[in-house]
Amino acid sequence: MKLEINGQVREVDVDPDMPLLWVLRDTLAMTGTKYGCGIAQCGACMVHVDGVATRACATPVGTLEGARITTIEGLGAQGQHPLQKAWIEAQVPQCGFCQSGQIMQAAALLQDKPKPSDADIDAAMAGNLCRCGTYQRIRDAIRRAAGA
Amino acid sequence: MTVVIDRRGFLDATGALVVSFALPAATARAQATGAPAGPGNLTAFIELRPDGHVVLWSPTVEMGQGTQTAHAMIIADEMGADPARISVEVPHPSDPFRRELPGSRAMGSGGSWGVRYWYEPLRKAAAQAREMLLAAASDRLGVPAGELVAEGGKVSHAASGRSLGFGELAAAAAAKPIPREAATRPDAQHKYVGKGIARLDTPAKVDGSARFAMDLKLPGMVYAYAVLSPVFKGDAEGFDATEARKIKGVVDVVKVPGGVAVAADNSWTAMKAAEAVKVAWKAMPIDDLDSAKLGTMMRDGLAAQQAAVAKAEGELNVAFANAAKYVVADYEVPYIAHTPMEAWNCTVRQSGDTWEIWAPVQNQDRILQAAARTLGVDAARIRLHSIMPGGGYGRRLGDDGIHAALVAAKALGRPVKLFWKREDEIGQGWYRPAQMARLRASLDAKGNMTGFWFRASGPSMQTEFAPAGVRNNMDGSSVQNMAECRYRWGATRIDYAMRHVPIPCAPWRAVGATQNAFFLECFIDEVAQAAGKDPLALRRELLAHDARALRVVNAAAERFGWDRPLAPGRAKGIAYFESFGALTAHVAEVSIEDRRPRVHRVVCAIDCGKVVMPDGARQQMEGGIVMGLSAAMGEKVSIARGRAVETNFDSYPLMRFDEAPRVEVVLLETPGVAMGGIGEPGLPPISAAVANALFHLTGKRIRKLPILDAMAT
Repeated sequence: MKLEINGQVREVDVDPDMPLLWVLRDTLAMTGTKYGCGIAQCGACMVHVDGVATRACATPVGTLEGARITTIEGLGAQGQHPLQKAWIEAQVPQCGFCQSGQIMQAAALLQDKPKPSDADIDAAMAGNLCRCGTYQRIRDAIRRAAGA
Repeated sequence: MTVVIDRRGFLDATGALVVSFALPAATARAQATGAPAGPGNLTAFIELRPDGHVVLWSPTVEMGQGTQTAHAMIIADEMGADPARISVEVPHPSDPFRRELPGSRAMGSGGSWGVRYWYEPLRKAAAQAREMLLAAASDRLGVPAGELVAEGGKVSHAASGRSLGFGELAAAAAAKPIPREAATRPDAQHKYVGKGIARLDTPAKVDGSARFAMDLKLPGMVYAYAVLSPVFKGDAEGFDATEARKIKGVVDVVKVPGGVAVAADNSWTAMKAAEAVKVAWKAMPIDDLDSAKLGTMMRDGLAAQQAAVAKAEGELNVAFANAAKYVVADYEVPYIAHTPMEAWNCTVRQSGDTWEIWAPVQNQDRILQAAARTLGVDAARIRLHSIMPGGGYGRRLGDDGIHAALVAAKALGRPVKLFWKREDEIGQGWYRPAQMARLRASLDAKGNMTGFWFRASGPSMQTEFAPAGVRNNMDGSSVQNMAECRYRWGATRIDYAMRHVPIPCAPWRAVGATQNAFFLECFIDEVAQAAGKDPLALRRELLAHDARALRVVNAAAERFGWDRPLAPGRAKGIAYFESFGALTAHVAEVSIEDRRPRVHRVVCAIDCGKVVMPDGARQQMEGGIVMGLSAAMGEKVSIARGRAVETNFDSYPLMRFDEAPRVEVVLLETPGVAMGGIGEPGLPPISAAVANALFHLTGKRIRKLPILDAMAT
């Protein structure tokens, strides 16, 4: 089947039931999208499907023909998305493992609400876990990227 | 010959099908000759490349705690290097970095040692490298070394205006003898230490390019997922893989320690096929163990006659007999899991008679020795690549995950990445042990403490993780930081009644301090209530003799505004604890919203002696508080039929974004004391600060974690 990922069409020969996460990671070697829990609880696998934040671990690849998929690798040219810059300015990451998913979730939020309130940020980010506890700096980085 | 895949090779391996092998020059030379120096290799820690790039071989892994950036700052200051031109690599355990150490410290990242232990050795190494560069420049410029200054990646001669880049001097400097002594620069000359630079690891962590072990893909590699015994330490007796083998993409099914591994051409197929393997599990002595039985065992220990004594000072019997008031309370904490976001994985490749292992590890010596045992080969035949862990917190100190990967690689005869699901990461154990404690205090008529008895009871972490450290039934972690507590409370007894429970345990970030701070600091609030004193005032009294500790408690209280009234429906709580050489106090502000406790604000004051990387210290306080709070609020692993009940985030709730408090950090320094740690001391006091605040709000003591369970009953 054909997948459109980060603006490129990729041909893959996989079981349509296979979650997008494993197609990205194992078949296409796009490893910025992470496995965290496999049951849509942690958000480490967050990508955009037609602009909507989507958990790749719970999305069968067979449902995605014709969809536009964006991963962390395609979010901003050379990592220059305003959120990626803000993430560096606020020195957000610690271990860094969850941060691709955090940034993808935040990017979807800013697409919908360029000036999110604190409550908007809470609601959008509550599905993304960070064991290092970087939540405070994530909030600061989102505000920074939103020009708040 | 031992081969090393270099950073470039690793990137190639993860991103494409090309793998290039290279032996980093310094490592190769050291392995070949045992010689400390040679082209580009200035010291055992520092390699200077002809382009002026400095490679720091840092013995600690970067698992989020920021030590590698701190190490680069230390090197930059002493060597006069440009931090933008320093990169950090982790050596192999047999690399020469240990040659220059006082004593023979094991290679591992834990105990909040990363900066405090390596500060002086790295300073010295960088000062030696600087002297070698100055000597080489002196030859080239024909001026005395004393007239030269190393700064910004070059050596300059002010009088003549001439300068030479580090890269130009690399070969000549490396040919100079390593000076035995090299003067380190006074603190006032430091440009980075105590001030800070942006973390070196951040850019790759925001664009998806950071490579974790889980991201590694070797040519010809298969993905293996193992069905592991649901009962701790169990194993398969037999299995039937007929159906699993029929699934397209399955390569093989093999027995591994602890279970049965399915190898396939992708992770998902391996997991799916594993569900089709029928496994018969061995009967285990703990098949009927559950949380209720554990509770009974721990309660028995609270009253047991026999206990290992960590401290007995003064006449406790007399103090208790003469008490005007006597306070006693029992506390309990559950087993909790580390849950790094990157679940365990390990890639293994055999090439002839040598083995390579890529894994997220905190404890290289232990892993290497364990791997040598399992493979039955000499450790010199194994090359261990320490890959940046996606979270460690102590979970990557153990060797439990390595064996199945090695055995699978041996059985399959090809490179294997063996990985765990989240359910295995939480369910296979190696927890912070459950524990109970009974605390007793006597007060005189004025409400002053005259005696204190701390009794811990429960499973022993060390017995499971490092039994050689247990002497006379004393596990130091069970009474961690209690005997040396700075409070003056009269006669003192600190003891521990070990209960034998074969559930695997390991150091969990801050180790025994996590539970002991909860026990002690909740109890101090109970004592304050019995004495009719303000909780802050009592702590000030108990620390009145100790200016350093008093300053920490006061700093947290003052920044918080302890004396200012709070908004209606809000309450505050304080806790203080010393661990890993640092003194920490937290003040928390709470309310109850929709019948759930909510922590709005935490003020943290910490004195770790000297602060090398201020923003890194703030990160560790912010993150440590969230992790400690997460554990206190909702985390527990219950035991039923010898296995873990909660094994994924739907039942093992980590603190979420919208639940996290605002954290403010006050960093304090005390000149002339031993440097303390930063990675762990932020956690211990938070559970008690919040439990104490909730008591002031509700009038109900929380004596058992997690808090959400305690408040629901």
